[in-house]
Amino acid sequence: MTSEVGRGTTPADAPEIGQRRSVARLWPAIPAALVLGVLFLGSMAFMVVFSFWRTDADFHLVPDWNVDNYVKFFTVPTYLRTFGKTLVMAAAVTVAALATALPFTYFLVRYVSRRWQRIVLLAVIVPFWTSYLLRVYAWQAILGERGVINQLLMGLGIIDAPTRLFTYNDLSVFIVLVYVSFPFAALALYATLERFDFGQLRAAQDLGARPDQALRHILLPQIRPGIITACIFVFVPIIGEFLTPVVVGGTQGVLIGNLVINFFRGAQIAQGAAFAIVIAAFVTLLLIVFRRHLQVEDVVARG
Amino acid sequence: MSWPVARGIDPIETMPVSPHARATRRALWLWAVIVMAFLYVPIVLLVIFSFNEPASPGLPITGLTLDWYEDALTNRLLLDAVKNSIFVAVAVSILATIIGTMAAFPLVRGRIRYPGAARIVATLPIMLPGMLLGIGILLFLRRVLDLELSLLTVVAGHLVFTVPFVILIVAAQLQGFDRKLEWAAADLGAEPRQAARHIILPLIWPSILAGALISFTLSIDEFVITFFTVGPQLTLPTYIYTQIKFGVTPAVNAIATLLLLGTLLMFGLGIVLLSVGRRVRRRDAT
Amino acid sequence: MDHLSKHFSRRRFLQTTAGVTGAMAMGGFASASRVMAQSPMAGPTGTFNFMTWSDHFYQEQLDAITAAIDITPSISELAGNAEGFIRLGEVGGQLDMISGDALWVPRYFEDGLIDAWDINELEVSKGLYSLAREFDIWTTPAGYLGYPFGWSPVQIYYDPAHVSPAPDSWEVLLDPKYAGRVMVENQPEEVPAYMGKLAGVADPYNMTTEELAQAKELMIRLKPNVLRLAQQNTDVVNALTNGEVWLATGNLGYDERVREAGGPEIKVFTPKEGTIGWMDAEMIVTGGANSALVRPWLEMAQTPEHIAENFLRYGRPLFNEAAYKVLVNNGHQERADRFLYNKPETVQTMTLKGPGTSTQAAIEAFNEVFGA
Repeated sequence: MTSEVGRGTTPADAPEIGQRRSVARLWPAIPAALVLGVLFLGSMAFMVVFSFWRTDADFHLVPDWNVDNYVKFFTVPTYLRTFGKTLVMAAAVTVAALATALPFTYFLVRYVSRRWQRIVLLAVIVPFWTSYLLRVYAWQAILGERGVINQLLMGLGIIDAPTRLFTYNDLSVFIVLVYVSFPFAALALYATLERFDFGQLRAAQDLGARPDQALRHILLPQIRPGIITACIFVFVPIIGEFLTPVVVGGTQGVLIGNLVINFFRGAQIAQGAAFAIVIAAFVTLLLIVFRRHLQVEDVVARG
Repeated sequence: MSWPVARGIDPIETMPVSPHARATRRALWLWAVIVMAFLYVPIVLLVIFSFNEPASPGLPITGLTLDWYEDALTNRLLLDAVKNSIFVAVAVSILATIIGTMAAFPLVRGRIRYPGAARIVATLPIMLPGMLLGIGILLFLRRVLDLELSLLTVVAGHLVFTVPFVILIVAAQLQGFDRKLEWAAADLGAEPRQAARHIILPLIWPSILAGALISFTLSIDEFVITFFTVGPQLTLPTYIYTQIKFGVTPAVNAIATLLLLGTLLMFGLGIVLLSVGRRVRRRDAT
Repeated sequence: MDHLSKHFSRRRFLQTTAGVTGAMAMGGFASASRVMAQSPMAGPTGTFNFMTWSDHFYQEQLDAITAAIDITPSISELAGNAEGFIRLGEVGGQLDMISGDALWVPRYFEDGLIDAWDINELEVSKGLYSLAREFDIWTTPAGYLGYPFGWSPVQIYYDPAHVSPAPDSWEVLLDPKYAGRVMVENQPEEVPAYMGKLAGVADPYNMTTEELAQAKELMIRLKPNVLRLAQQNTDVVNALTNGEVWLATGNLGYDERVREAGGPEIKVFTPKEGTIGWMDAEMIVTGGANSALVRPWLEMAQTPEHIAENFLRYGRPLFNEAAYKVLVNNGHQERADRFLYNKPETVQTMTLKGPGTSTQAAIEAFNEVFGA
């Protein structure tokens, strides 16, 4: 069987055809390039420029080029402290969300029929179509002083007076953030777990591997893209998160998003933009440092 | 791994099952149930609050009433807001899924010089607080493109932060895709486009579905960016969040409950119909 | 007349009063529409774009006006003054009318975003308290800057069962006795202003560096007392009802809402150092595409009957004197007086919320205190 040029690729042909085709192959990215490249980067161009300007007392942006807005982030200790805390919180939530979602999704894909998988996925995601604010308020009613948990604990006689352990502090922010992040982690994991061939685990055990060895050396490497995606979906949005800390965090559970938003709501756009950009730059740095783990290139010719 | 087995039975199922495996399965099942309970407890409370008498949603429950439902269903503004939100979310979900899926291919296979950089650019929108994005997009739409604000500009704004999710999730699945299937198709004479349509897409459907669900979820509850990009229209999140001076009433809980019931019913019906249809077709086929 | 007994839910009561006022309103409309029918020129009809807070109107009011003169506002909700300002700056004529707080109004005007006009053109303006038509900050040579709507001082609420002796000063919020039992709003420009008031600062929105330092000191003492920062006033009402907090700052009317929600009896006072407050107005946007519809609509919307009903529903005083008379005639005088409805001059004793020279510094101070 001859393989003509233009009839798909084989490993032997791959390099040359790849190069000739590379430009033509990029066309599907054009709509995304428009959205992300033009709309997003164009919008951010404004904000980057503004971050170097000043907001005057009349709330106008004055092109008084300066780096004061950026310097403030590093010289006023509050911001670095809060940012550091936000990174820790985001990491903790990511670990917890993954630890919660992975067994759940594994069970779903491995032991549940295809039809019921879809039903359960929907059952997981549909509640998240209700208002975020309402859900967070509901959490308040659970964690609060007169909330469900306290009433339960008092009813069971475990405590005499309502505890404030779960309210208006970092713990409540943590719990609610895990809650809201769960469906994103689960969906990201579902996508890659669904494609996994569970027969390989049996084969491994057949060859003498312990179950946990099989998981570690066979399952995890293959679903690694899914795990990384889930991590990004949970970790990254928390950096900009401000609503949950306000509603359930009290004065203790403040995250950097709150501080940045305060500037925008007071029409201090220059300051707010500068801080947001510094934060984004730092997270980008993190992603670059870990880029080896974030490999996107196609691993061709496996097996 | 294969040995002679009756047709239609998965060989895995005929292997002897160790008690170890059975215990694991039970533990996982228990965990799944706990997680579902964790997910639904706040929802149950949310629904209960819609029946609670006081004008401020929350505990204690002083009395039950259907007044808030009456309120919600006669509130023209609220209903308009819901309609607009659904329109935007559906549009965003469809567009983001198409745009994101298309973009995932060149990202993974296009042999771009710096694929990591491309991925990071794709991730940037999610890192930034919504207000920064919202104001930036507003300025860009008005000062550069001189567009009038409307629900369509809202859709554009939402695409900015939903497309990254779709790209990332489809790319992740595409990375692990077994190329041999495509090569086999090519050997059998398929054009790349045919291979894409008939081989790749059907096999990466979980990530496409996940991407669609995620973008819908993100869009239907987005307030900040919507506020800055919407024209003289209301969406449900803007309606809720801007009741700052006066406060939220349980009418909102009522609407949320109705929406929840509505979507669950709709999907439930859809799944039932689909499986009935499949059973009918199978019966006809045999 | 105690109309807030538990068995008679407030909603149903409002409905009956709405029926009464509605009938009166319809009566008013009947005469108004008769007047309009008699006038030789039929007015313009259609839709105009109105960005406002949710308590500036109610559904039946909008429906009644549409039925009478076929003008309907397309409402978009205002999140806050700053966001509204930013948006209006960008969309311009896509809006026709916008609401705004006291000191923001001249801001809008200076940026050429709103028109100055003679509010006495409108018949209904005769129903306004005369002092509302003559606020310095809203007067310009070209005209008045907005149609006055409502106002409220910020007051301190407390639960007398837990807070004693009866407080009279901002100081009570800092009292270590009440650690974790205080709630203030999540407003980074306002909280420093409250503390500024306590420190005796003359102008809490234009503080000098030293004054701001004083306010910051006070905020540091305030922080351990604060349970949480309220995002919406529902939060305050819930917290007072649940007994989670014993002290809270807020607009008028929370004590009633707490009582309704089954909570304890709450008392309220105005701090002796003076307080902050707001008053808002409806502003006409320059170059609005449908601005011809705004004045006829205001003519119908700002009638005493509608304003009276608005007061009953949302519970804060409004600048319409004729509406006060309507309330009195319908037996709501006690409630109206409790809400200081007939004392609009109170506005002149409060420091008005709004942009100032120290806004950015205030936000930074707030962040430094309430950050991690």
